Amino acid sequence: MSHRLRVNPITCQAHGVCAELFPERITMDPWGYPLIAPQPVPDELLGHARRAVAACPTLALLLDRLD
Amino acid sequence: MISSSAAAPAVAIVVNSSTPLWYITRATGLVALVLLTASMALGLLASVRYASRGWPRFVTAGLHRNASVLACAFTCVHIITTLADSFVPIRLQDVVIPFISAYRPVWLGLGAIAFDLMLALTVTSLIRTRLSYRIWRLVHWAAYLCWPIAVLHGLGTGSDTPVRWVLLLTLGCVAVVAGLLGWRLACGWPSHPAARLMGALALLLALIAGGAWLTAGPLHPGWARRAGTPPSLLGGPSAAAPGSGGAR
Amino acid sequence: MSVTGPPAKGGQALPPRQLPRLLQPGAPLPLAGHVSRYGPVPFRRSGAELIAEVRRAGLAGRGGAGFPAGRKMHAVAAATAGRKPGLLHTARGSVVVANGVESEPASSKDKMLLGRSPHLVLDGIALAAAAVGASRAYLCLHDGHPGLTSLLRAAVTERERAGVNRVPIQVTEVPGGYVASQETALISFLNGGPQRPAFVPPRPFERGVHGRPTLVQNVETLAHLALIARYGAAWFRGLGVPQSAGSALITVSGAVCEPSVLEIELGTRIGDLIERAGGPAEPPQAVLAGGYFGGWLPYPAALNVRMTDAGLRGAGAALGPGVLVLLPASACGLAETARTIWYLASQSAGQCGPCLNGLPALATAFDEVAFARPGRDTQGWARQLLALVAGRGACHLPDGTAALAASALRVFGHDLRRHAASGPCPRAWRAPVLPEPVLPEPGGQDPTP
Repeated sequence: MSHRLRVNPITCQAHGVCAELFPERITMDPWGYPLIAPQPVPDELLGHARRAVAACPTLALLLDRLD
Repeated sequence: MISSSAAAPAVAIVVNSSTPLWYITRATGLVALVLLTASMALGLLASVRYASRGWPRFVTAGLHRNASVLACAFTCVHIITTLADSFVPIRLQDVVIPFISAYRPVWLGLGAIAFDLMLALTVTSLIRTRLSYRIWRLVHWAAYLCWPIAVLHGLGTGSDTPVRWVLLLTLGCVAVVAGLLGWRLACGWPSHPAARLMGALALLLALIAGGAWLTAGPLHPGWARRAGTPPSLLGGPSAAAPGSGGAR
Repeated sequence: MSVTGPPAKGGQALPPRQLPRLLQPGAPLPLAGHVSRYGPVPFRRSGAELIAEVRRAGLAGRGGAGFPAGRKMHAVAAATAGRKPGLLHTARGSVVVANGVESEPASSKDKMLLGRSPHLVLDGIALAAAAVGASRAYLCLHDGHPGLTSLLRAAVTERERAGVNRVPIQVTEVPGGYVASQETALISFLNGGPQRPAFVPPRPFERGVHGRPTLVQNVETLAHLALIARYGAAWFRGLGVPQSAGSALITVSGAVCEPSVLEIELGTRIGDLIERAGGPAEPPQAVLAGGYFGGWLPYPAALNVRMTDAGLRGAGAALGPGVLVLLPASACGLAETARTIWYLASQSAGQCGPCLNGLPALATAFDEVAFARPGRDTQGWARQLLALVAGRGACHLPDGTAALAASALRVFGHDLRRHAASGPCPRAWRAPVLPEPVLPEPGGQDPTP
């Protein structure tokens, strides 16, 4: 089972915590907003993804289950 | 060991409880204040987006969370030991309902308010993912109320206020938060210069007023009586020097 | 040809392969005249019947996104049926929002339709409301055209007096603004909030106005619905091509002799359309197809492109809300695009970082491309920006802008090379062909006849 990572662009305030905690899938654009790789998140990286989602100060990062 | 003034009224010996509970209450109260200050400081650091090579943002976020939880824990111990200490007339309801206690009602009441706010902050943060972000954020602004109220509670209720290192510690906490608040006002809300100026002025006024109150209040002799300590717990004219265990 | 499907009861026949369908000539008919021409509103026994008919007809939304109307109606009807009254919502009905705001600057077909055939649009609203179980409807109009608003309000009142409306229709004036008429922005406005796009999910068909399932449909789509309900799906598909069925209203402007709103059969060649608008007024260079979220088509290849969703996308443009602007050879395509990008950047709702930061950066880069000597770095940065903004906002403003910019760099590539080599061309300072928004002057252009 894999998951998809996406961001709510309205709530995101460019804190940048997600890119620090999940650099495998999240990088930052020139203005500090997250660039999320489109591939699904495999199970072995799920822990990092969950940690990034929980750490977002505005809860803008979202993890959806793909089934 | 309880020393009482029953035998010789002319001898000014103050009444105190030397049970461990009283010491633990004071100690945990101070530690809770330091932790709450750390939490405020880290929260302010997060809001100005501070980050450096060796200090990424998730460190600020994580430490803020840890400091807040620890502050809660120490506050709970502080409250439990106060309740368990039968020497002071503080009941369970005084913990959550302000201004109804027999012991220094106003200043203890502030502690109750600060605790209520801490509960709101903690509970909403624990269930963050189930709340709307807007509601969580609205409640979280209460942190700006909670911390100063806790400081005033400590200064007003605490019997150690005149003790030099305690005073310096408290003032140190205030300095840290005031400094970071000033930083936040300088960095944030670029489109509202008027509001920022007002905020800075308010901060300055608050510090001045606080300092004035401190000098005229807790640091002025006779504070214990003026603050509302029940007469049965007061001795005669206090001959206790600072550091002797504290006048009640 | 005979009319197939259920004939309009009490109305006149409308042969399937005949135009016009929506824009009948003459002054707008009052209710009585409208009923005698088209017959009364053909409410069905069940909403599912009409929805099935609309799906068979293959009616696609005419507001720009081209989403199948039948599928949208089905989703709203299903969401409404699944709702149980509870503590938080006692009312069960859904809501219909008719979008007549038309904030695309180069488009005037919705205003034309509302001014000429108001009762067709209102019929469509009534039918859609019945089909999806709505308990109320809103007709949203741009607040810059008071004449049109009064006309529609009078038409609604006429219908209420005659007892035609089963569901109350509220005519609401809405401030213009490019993203302000996006469906979630409209819903947010109707809910008393800011007129800015919202994050989806939840989509309007799940939660919209006052938390209820909401059907947002362009007014032209609803007018087509009113005709499909009377003459049937087969009649509707008598015009057009299988993937893009029916007729559509297209606004043709720019360097044509007779800028106008035309009703065409989908699949018509752009060349024929331009002829119907009087032909080019000056030697032509390119065509902007699809409005500001569309793309440029170079001459003479543009002439043979067919007005269908697939045809235009294949050529690098889009059908959008049916907009064609003819660019003369005396203008500079890069300059026109640069000015448009500034307009689009100014229309950002300011909610999403990539759009708020990226679009002004793109506009600045395009300034250099169009009005100066663009270096390699600028060109590279502009292309990088296209990838950085697309798809990263809550609405499609950044994507549409990026698509327009990309097509300009492609179609006006020779101009780009010339600018890079020897600076901007004097054509860049010609009077603009593409419209930027102009606040309506008092007593200004009102399309009501």
